Amino acid sequence: MTIDDDDLVARIRQALKVVIDPELGHNIVDLGFIYDVSVDDGVVHIIMTATTLGCPAAFFLKEGVASSACLVPGVESVDVTMTFEPPWQPSMISPGVRSSLGFAEVN
Amino acid sequence: MIGTSLCRWAISYCAVAIAWLLLAEGLMVAGFGFPNHDIGGPDTLVIVHMVCVGWLSMALCGALFQFVPVLVARPLYAERWTLPALALLTLGLTVLLAGFLALGGHFNGPAWLLPVGAVLLIAGFALVVVNLSMTLWSARPLPGPARFVAGGLACICVTTAFGGMFSLVLSGTAAGAQWPDLLISGVPIHAIAGLGGWLTFTAMGVSYRLLAMFMLAPDGDVRLGRLAWLAGITALAVGLVGGVLTFWRMTGLNLALLLAGPAALLSLAAYGRDVLGLYRTRKRRALELNTRMSLAALVSLAAAAILGAALLAIGFFQSHVGALAFLVAFGWLTGLVLANLYKIVPFLTWLETYGPVMGRMPTPRVQDLVAERRALKWFVVFFAGSWAATLMLLLDAALGFRVAVAAVMLATLGLSEEFIRARRLADVAEPLRLPTGAAMPHLLVSRN
Repeated sequence: MTIDDDDLVARIRQALKVVIDPELGHNIVDLGFIYDVSVDDGVVHIIMTATTLGCPAAFFLKEGVASSACLVPGVESVDVTMTFEPPWQPSMISPGVRSSLGFAEVN
Repeated sequence: MIGTSLCRWAISYCAVAIAWLLLAEGLMVAGFGFPNHDIGGPDTLVIVHMVCVGWLSMALCGALFQFVPVLVARPLYAERWTLPALALLTLGLTVLLAGFLALGGHFNGPAWLLPVGAVLLIAGFALVVVNLSMTLWSARPLPGPARFVAGGLACICVTTAFGGMFSLVLSGTAAGAQWPDLLISGVPIHAIAGLGGWLTFTAMGVSYRLLAMFMLAPDGDVRLGRLAWLAGITALAVGLVGGVLTFWRMTGLNLALLLAGPAALLSLAAYGRDVLGLYRTRKRRALELNTRMSLAALVSLAAAAILGAALLAIGFFQSHVGALAFLVAFGWLTGLVLANLYKIVPFLTWLETYGPVMGRMPTPRVQDLVAERRALKWFVVFFAGSWAATLMLLLDAALGFRVAVAAVMLATLGLSEEFIRARRLADVAEPLRLPTGAAMPHLLVSRN
């Protein structure tokens, strides 16, 4: 990726913070749901997860990620992949959010 | 499959269920049925079926239509069957209750009310069972919690089969006259299959997954729930198959139930151990109100197991079975269902309202749709009332029972208002309440 692509990825990650996990109540970036964001000729590829396979919220999270990424200037199209490998763990949450959620120490 | 869709009629099932619960509670407060009347009499049967079919089964069906697909990560087999099933269950229960009222001499109704009501109920439950069974079938091998649901579905088949035969006996048909002792031998099987198998066993299975999800506790160990399931299935199989066989020979029902009892206690003990394990290993230290109240319901289940064993040991089981049944139906099952509705209603409302605009507009959290401190007092009143009502039944204090159930009804009304407020987004602060593109949800049906 170029420096411009890195900048675009950073802006996309920032834009994705409008998407929250409704149950945990925090944005999915800080919760660690976004596994990877990459740019390839203006096409953004996002690999993400959710807490529970089969959860009705998972579909809306995926759509929300696509919608918010599309709004970032410079993005031509978005491809979102939902995966449950590896499964999401509370240890993926950023430390500040983890303490605000009242989470136990996780390894 | 990454996510299941919203079941359009799940909220409708919950609303109909709460209406039946309030009606049953109102009748008990008014002194209708047990303990003012015979525990096996028609008036008590009205209350029992309002609570077990109208309230608990309706609420459980609505929850299962939404959460069995989550348990097995497969879509519901036939969403289009859910509304006909709701209509059949509601109509069937209404006709059945009319039959009981006629049997009790409250009006001069025809004899066919009971069998017709039973047939409509059997048809409604058949739609539910086939729909959920086909959903489970598509996901073999089943994960642990789903196996409990499969066992529960088998038990509702036994329950309705016996219910159908009872209706033939009670209505005085020629077919029913062939089984003169059915009511004596069959009622324990009907009750165990319904309360123990369908309602309790299913609720145990679903709660494994829900408690793990809400507490963020690790539930990936395949051994989790295995002993509770094996012992529970053994208890139900010995109790039901043994009960049916002994009914055929008209001897030894008590032997079958005595053999099933220890297995049932082992299942409950293993379940309690598993839930404590989930609680201890949870990552989410601060638990939400629905989880805390689910744990209060589990205390009622443990109390019911101890009370049942104690009554058997001292020979008072038969005379106090009403108190035990009330504790199971209200302290455990109703408490658990109300606690979970306190999460299910706002969660489904959130998905319906804010899911479609996610990513385009800031949205509130599910917790913003409820006010836990306000609801907490209703749960406290509910559990205190349920436990007090059980005590009053043990003491044969009929008036005290009615006063305690009045408190339970007040709490149910208070929680109903909380559910309506969640559907109306009444506690969501502006400007997040209705962002551009979001639509106010309907009260009794979801958009999916």
